[in-house]
Amino acid sequence: MIQVTQETRSGWYVVAVRGRADAEAADELEGALRAAVEAHPKVAADFAALDYISSAGLRAVLQAARAAQTAKAEFAVCSPSARVKKVFDMSGLHHVLQIYGELPC
Amino acid sequence: MLTMLEEVVLLAVDENTGGLRSTREFGTAYALVGAVLFDLALAGKIDTDTETIQIIDRAPTGNATLDGILAEMARRLDLNTVQDWIEHIYRRQADLEGEALAALIQQGILRHEQSKRLWVVDVERFPMTSNRHQQHVKVRLAEAIRTDSIPDTRDIMLVSIAEPCGLLGYVMDEAELARRRDRIQMLCNLETISRKVTRAIARLDRTLRLQAAPKII
Repeated sequence: MIQVTQETRSGWYVVAVRGRADAEAADELEGALRAAVEAHPKVAADFAALDYISSAGLRAVLQAARAAQTAKAEFAVCSPSARVKKVFDMSGLHHVLQIYGELPC
Repeated sequence: MLTMLEEVVLLAVDENTGGLRSTREFGTAYALVGAVLFDLALAGKIDTDTETIQIIDRAPTGNATLDGILAEMARRLDLNTVQDWIEHIYRRQADLEGEALAALIQQGILRHEQSKRLWVVDVERFPMTSNRHQQHVKVRLAEAIRTDSIPDTRDIMLVSIAEPCGLLGYVMDEAELARRRDRIQMLCNLETISRKVTRAIARLDRTLRLQAAPKII
């Protein structure tokens, strides 16, 4: 289960995600990120409060990044917790996505 | 839409002879297992993290092969890692291939022909009624590898199971595959199931090499 909050900060549309990004939450996560990249030129997914991400959650983030490519929007994943960062590192997600240690705004 | 399992088996059919080809027989068996797990994940029945596998929904998918595996997963609570399930389903490799071939025949994509070689040995062939479906799979694979954009989830999965069993050689020539090696590795690494399938194949290769090595007394 996730909670998503959204706000605009210094030119970036920040989508903050809290909770567990698993199969149950994957559609909601992908939907929120997709809607953001399709409507805003610069989107940051703030994962500081994301405790867990499964393969389904990872696929949701990847497909949102794909939508950002199509929409020619800038998309960055920011501040992942240590547990989530470990999953990103194992998957080599940094080859596909911009991952920042902190929010760019 | 074909299942991932059907797409992998279809890719292994020689478009000229209808024979089933495999550059790495055991690797292909593991790829079939990976394909089934991906099919269950795409159907929203299972989820994985870096090690474990969870059943999300026990309701049948309507596909007999997938439902058989799903029912077994629901029963065997003692097996809960991706690795456990890859090794467990691997024992059903012949069933998986046979069931996927039967489904492809039923959908009118393949035909079943049986003949004798040297009047004795039974030879089975599965000629395609049209190469349209196989071509569609090949085009998606080639596009996912050739471009630098993020592919669709299904295409990432397909690359990541076609690669460890050597099926990409039927899609692109060796020189192009070599040039795109980093891209292929990157796509294969994205999915836990693919990483575990690749590891299982490497372990099996090692065991087979050790068994084949001459023993020094």
